[in-house]
Amino acid sequence: MPKSKSLPAASLYIVLALLDGELHGYAVMRRVEELSDGAVRMGPGTLYGTLDRLVAGGLIQETSDRSPRADGERRRYYELTAGGRARAVDELTRLRSLVHRTAMHLPGAAPA
Amino acid sequence: MSGHRRTLGAYRLAIRLYPKRFREEYGPDLAGLLADQLRDEPAWRVVARSAVDLALTVPTRHLEARMARTPTSLVPVIFGAVALSAVVVAIVVGHPGVLLGCLAVAVVAGALALAAAHRARPLTEPRPTTHNWWKLLAGGAAVLVALIAITTATGELPEGAWFVAMVTGLAGVMLIGAGIVLGIAHLASRANRGTVA
Repeated sequence: MPKSKSLPAASLYIVLALLDGELHGYAVMRRVEELSDGAVRMGPGTLYGTLDRLVAGGLIQETSDRSPRADGERRRYYELTAGGRARAVDELTRLRSLVHRTAMHLPGAAPA
Repeated sequence: MSGHRRTLGAYRLAIRLYPKRFREEYGPDLAGLLADQLRDEPAWRVVARSAVDLALTVPTRHLEARMARTPTSLVPVIFGAVALSAVVVAIVVGHPGVLLGCLAVAVVAGALALAAAHRARPLTEPRPTTHNWWKLLAGGAAVLVALIAITTATGELPEGAWFVAMVTGLAGVMLIGAGIVLGIAHLASRANRGTVA
């Protein structure tokens, strides 16, 4: 199988955040912040621009389940498609492999 | 709380800077997300982050919207017709005084036609620069043919017009030369690829 290019950072964080299940935009943002230990804080434009590209690329999809907000607006929920989940798992494997190989070459550090 | 409302109002205005499709699709979500952030974080931090986010993402979204545009072939055709008309008028009128104006119109309209055709082309896989060798060759030949036709039709040219004609002729020769060089490079790279494959 040909190796696909690794996802850009924002897309990578979002697909990893959605591995736990469907989330709305703000929850995705909070989950990304949590996953990155506070290092990545996306703005609204970055978040929805990336979600838009991921939907167009078939990695995530909107779910039909929409719960109303307090202000009457409807929240949009997103979940990984089958292809998106496979891609997220591939990315995790690639990252684990990167960490493993890097650790092997560090003096005095043994891979976990 | 009224501070939050003002911030949200200003952000709703700023959302108008995004391309139409994006703001119609995600406008309410963007504003809702900002409202959520304002509820949970200090307003100054949210405002600072959102300002940076706007500055970075508005141009990006516009760029993406332009790249996804539907190509149209009408504009290059119009500019091409203007360029051709200018050449025809220069030949038909045949007055040296008209020649300069017609040449200028033909060159500008031709350049705009090429630029518009380049913009309107469907997005394809990138190809090597040498692929365009024949365009330079054809462009140079067209310039020389037009120049010969105009100078033949108008006969005696004033001093200023001769200078323009000489520069145009030189440009035509240079285009042909560049086309030949690129053509040779293109053929060589194709032969090389064939050998490697």
